[in-house]
Amino acid sequence: MEKFKVTFYPDHKTVEIQKGQSILSAALAAGIYINSNCGGEGICGRCKIILRKGEVFTQPSGRLSWEERKHNYYLACLTTVQSDLEVEVPEESRLSFEKLAVEEIALRFKGFYEKPESIETTQSILDEVFVHSPLATKLYIELPPPNLNDRVSDLERLYREIRKRHEIPIIQTCLTNIRSLGHLLRNSDWKVTVTLGKRDGVVEIVLVEPNNTSLHNYGFAFDIGTTTICGELIDLNNKKILGARAIYNKQTVFGPDVITRIIYGSQADGLEKLHHAVVDGMNEIIQELIQEEKIDLNNVTCVLCAGNPTMIHLLLKIEPTYLRREPYIPVANFIPTIRASETGIKINPRGLLFCLPGVSSYLGGDIVAGVLSCGMYKEEGICLLIDIGTNGEIVLGNRDFLVGCSASAGPAFEGSGVNYGMRASGGAIQKVKILPNADKVEFSTIGNIPARGICGSGYIDILAQMLMTGVIDRSGKIRWEDHPRIKQRELEKEFIIAFKEETNLDSDIVITETDIENLKRAKAAIFAATSVLVKHMNLDLKQIEKVFIAGGFGSYLNIQNAKLIGLLPDLEERRFIFVGNSSLIGASYVLLSHQAMQRAEELAHKITYFELSVDHSYMEEYMAALFFPHTDISRFPNLKGMI
Amino acid sequence: MIKEYIENWSGEVNTLVIGATPEEGGSRRFSVKIGGERTLPFLFKEALLPFKPVIAYEIWDIEPIDWATALSKYYGDVWGNTLEWADKLIREYKAELLCLKLAGAHPEIGKDLDEIVKLLEGLLKKVDIPLIIIGCGDVQRDNFILPLCSQILKNERCLIGEVNQDNYKTLTAAVLADGHSIIAQSPIDINIAKQLNILISDMGLPLERIVINPTVGALGYGLEYTYSIMERLRLAALNNDRVVASPFICFVGQESWRVKEATTPEKEFSRWGSEWRRGYLWELITAGALLQAGANILVMRHPKAIEKIKEYIDKLYEFKIN
Repeated sequence: MEKFKVTFYPDHKTVEIQKGQSILSAALAAGIYINSNCGGEGICGRCKIILRKGEVFTQPSGRLSWEERKHNYYLACLTTVQSDLEVEVPEESRLSFEKLAVEEIALRFKGFYEKPESIETTQSILDEVFVHSPLATKLYIELPPPNLNDRVSDLERLYREIRKRHEIPIIQTCLTNIRSLGHLLRNSDWKVTVTLGKRDGVVEIVLVEPNNTSLHNYGFAFDIGTTTICGELIDLNNKKILGARAIYNKQTVFGPDVITRIIYGSQADGLEKLHHAVVDGMNEIIQELIQEEKIDLNNVTCVLCAGNPTMIHLLLKIEPTYLRREPYIPVANFIPTIRASETGIKINPRGLLFCLPGVSSYLGGDIVAGVLSCGMYKEEGICLLIDIGTNGEIVLGNRDFLVGCSASAGPAFEGSGVNYGMRASGGAIQKVKILPNADKVEFSTIGNIPARGICGSGYIDILAQMLMTGVIDRSGKIRWEDHPRIKQRELEKEFIIAFKEETNLDSDIVITETDIENLKRAKAAIFAATSVLVKHMNLDLKQIEKVFIAGGFGSYLNIQNAKLIGLLPDLEERRFIFVGNSSLIGASYVLLSHQAMQRAEELAHKITYFELSVDHSYMEEYMAALFFPHTDISRFPNLKGMI
Repeated sequence: MIKEYIENWSGEVNTLVIGATPEEGGSRRFSVKIGGERTLPFLFKEALLPFKPVIAYEIWDIEPIDWATALSKYYGDVWGNTLEWADKLIREYKAELLCLKLAGAHPEIGKDLDEIVKLLEGLLKKVDIPLIIIGCGDVQRDNFILPLCSQILKNERCLIGEVNQDNYKTLTAAVLADGHSIIAQSPIDINIAKQLNILISDMGLPLERIVINPTVGALGYGLEYTYSIMERLRLAALNNDRVVASPFICFVGQESWRVKEATTPEKEFSRWGSEWRRGYLWELITAGALLQAGANILVMRHPKAIEKIKEYIDKLYEFKIN
C-alpha cells in the first residue's frame, strides 16, 4: 500500500499515512485534535481544514459554504489522502482549551454559587463540613538515629515515629521504598518527609523523601465528562484551590456520546486511542496548572477523578464493551486506589489515583460526587438532582432513599453539536433577551468581551425568548420568513443572535433549526427521565421540595426560561437551587477529606439504579417532551398563555 | 343481574362538515357531517354517536396505471378521464364523497399546472357532492399546488391535505383563508398527532377544522399498531383533551391494494384463492377493523368493498337508540 506524508500547519507536524485514509485520522496520528462531534460521519461539519498542497478525494457536503469551497476548505473526515499533503488546521476546527475565571473557582470551592438572577433565596448547598484529612498527607519527621539501646529497624523506626503523631493502625510500604530506605535515612541525617496515602482501608507509605517538603503537597481533582474535562489544582495543606482548567474531552473525535465511544473502544486499537485521548487531556491540564503556579511535579501526590463509568473505564483502559450489552454490567464500580503512573497520568511517579465509586454502568462517581456536594442525602424533604450534561443524570430522594437514572441527552447544552456552541467561558453569550418582533436582541457575554459563541444558559434563554416572541413555533421551527435576522440556508433557516460586528468572529452568531432540534432532544431526554423516575417512585413533581440543578452553565441560569422550554419541571422558583459543576465540587471535597470519601462510598452503595432503557414508558415520555414546553401543556400549568 | 357499566365521558369528538350548499355559500347539493361522538365506536347505549362514518371514493387526476386489475374491471373504462370517472361513481355507485388525489402533480410525472386548474374547475361544475383534495406527496410541489386548489375551491368547504409536522404552514394559511378544513398527517404517533394539531391551531385555524390522518396499515401490515394509536387518541379526546378531539380519516384503499395478499393472481398462489374476491375482502376487512378503532372517513377503492362496508355500518346503526 502506498504511503504519503501529511504535514499539518501551523503545528509543522508530519505524519506518514496510507493512501485513502482520511485527513481526520492523519491528524489524530499526528496528535492534532480536530473537532468532530459526529465522530467522523460528515454530519457536524466542524472538522474543516484548508488544503494547501496535494491531491485528495472528497465527498460533497452541505456543511461547507461556496465561499469556503472556493478557498480550499474540506471536511477532514470526508476527505482522503491521495498524495503528499500540506494541510492547515484553522483555530475554529481545533478542540479548545480554556481557563476558568478565578472568581468562578473561588465560588466553586466555597460550595456557594452566585445565585441565579431569577432565584430569590440562596441556600447553602453544603452544611456538613468534612474533617480536613486529604487523601495524601505529608509528614515531616526527624527520626532519632538508632543506637545500641534503640535497635529498632529502619522501617519500624519510621512507623514508630508516624504512629507517635497519628493513630494509624495499619501501615503498608512497598518494596521499592524499603529498598531505598537504608541509604535515604542516613544520607538525609534522619530528616525525611513521608507521604501517606489512604489506600482503601489501609494507610500506605507512598513516598519517603529527604528533608522537609511537607509544605508542598498538591493534588488534582478532575471531573471527567463525556464532552468536558475539568481539573482543579488544590493545595492539600490549606485547602486552597490554586487554579482550574476546562477542556473539551479529546475523545469527542471518536464519537459524541458514551455509546459511540464504547463501540469505538471495542474495535482494535480503539480502547488504546480513547485511553490516550483522555490521559493526554488530563496531563495537559496538570502541566498548564503546575507551570502557572510554579509547582514541582514531584509535589503533586494524588489525583482524584469523578466521571461516568464509561469515562472511568476508558481512563483506566478497561474493556468497556460489556457496559453496552445487556444486562449492562461494568467491569468495576469501586476502583481500588492505584498509582497514577499506571495509567500514564504524569504526577509524582509514586502518586496515587483515586476514582470516585460508581453506582451502575451508567450512573457513576460524578453523580455520587453531585449527591455528596448538594447534600440531598441529608434532607428530610424529597429532593431532585438534575445534572444537565451529555448524559442527563437524575437522582431522586432524601435521607431515607436515593434512586437515580441516566438518559442520553447529547452535548448540546455543553455547547457541543450546535453550530455556535461553546463552553461557559470568556466571550460566551450567557444571557439573552429578544425584544418583541425580534427588532433587537440584547445579550451579555461572560467577561463582557465580544461574543465568541453561545453557552448552555445562553441557548436556554434564546429558545425561551424565541418561543415567547413567536420566532419559532412550539416544535422549534422558525416561523417567520422576511426578517433581517432570519436567513434561509440550503436546508434550513437560521436566526441571527449577534451580527458580525458584535462578535469576535468573521461571521454572525446564529442559531439554526438543527441546533434547535438538538437542544430540543436534549431537554426532552432530561425532562422525560425526570418524569419517569418521579412516576416510578409513585411521587408527583409537586411533592419535590428542592431541585438541585447541576451542569457546566457558569454562574448564570434563568430558571423561568428553563421551565419555558420544558427542561425543568414547572415548580415555584424558590425550590430550585443551582449548584454548577457539582461533580467537580464533590471531587474536591473528597480529595481533601477521607471522611468525604467514606461518605461517597456509602452513597454509591445506597443509590438504587433505575434502568430507563428497559422502561417502556420512557420512550413515550420522550416523544411527548419533544415539544416546547411539552405536548401536554397541563404539565406546565403556570406557563399557560405565555407562549 | 349485573348492572351494565356505563362510562361517562367528559369530552367529545369535534363535529366537522365537508361541503357547502348554495345557502352556505358553496355549490354542493348537500354536505357531509362527521364526528360528534361522545363515546367509543358503536357503544350506542353509552352515549350519542350522531353521525355515521362515511366512505370517500378515491379518484386520481391521471390514469392510475399501477392499480390492480380487480379495480380496472370497474373503472378501467373511465379512469383516463377524471371527470367521467367522478360522474360514473356518482351515477352508478351513488358516491356521496369524493377524494381526489393529484398524483399527476408529482415532479416525476410533471403534469402541467394549467391542466390541474382546468380539471378542478371542471370538477366543480360537473360534480355537486362534497370533495376531499389530496396532494401528490412531494412537499415543494404540494406547497405550490394545494394553496391554488384551495383558492379555486374557495367557500366549497372541502377537506384538503395533507400537512405534517415539518410542513404545515403554507397549506394551513391557505385553508384558513378559503374556509376549508385540513388533514393533519402523523406517523402512527400519538404525540406527533397532538403536536401537529397544536401547531396548526397556533396559526389560527380552529381545532374544529382539523381531521387527523393517524397513518394506517392494511390488514396484516401493522393494523393492530394503528388501531391502538387511534384508540388512545380517541380515549384522550373523550377524556376532554380538546387538542386531539379531531375525527379520523383513513386511507384504506391505498394501503390495502398495495399488499401482495390483495393483488397476487391465483395462478401464482392457488391456495390463496381468487384474487377478484380476495382483493376486495382485504380492503373490506381492513376498513371494518378501522371503523372499530374510530375511523370517521374511509377513503376506499373497490365498489364492492364499499357497498359491503356501507351495509355493515347501516347494520351497526340499527342499534342506535338516540
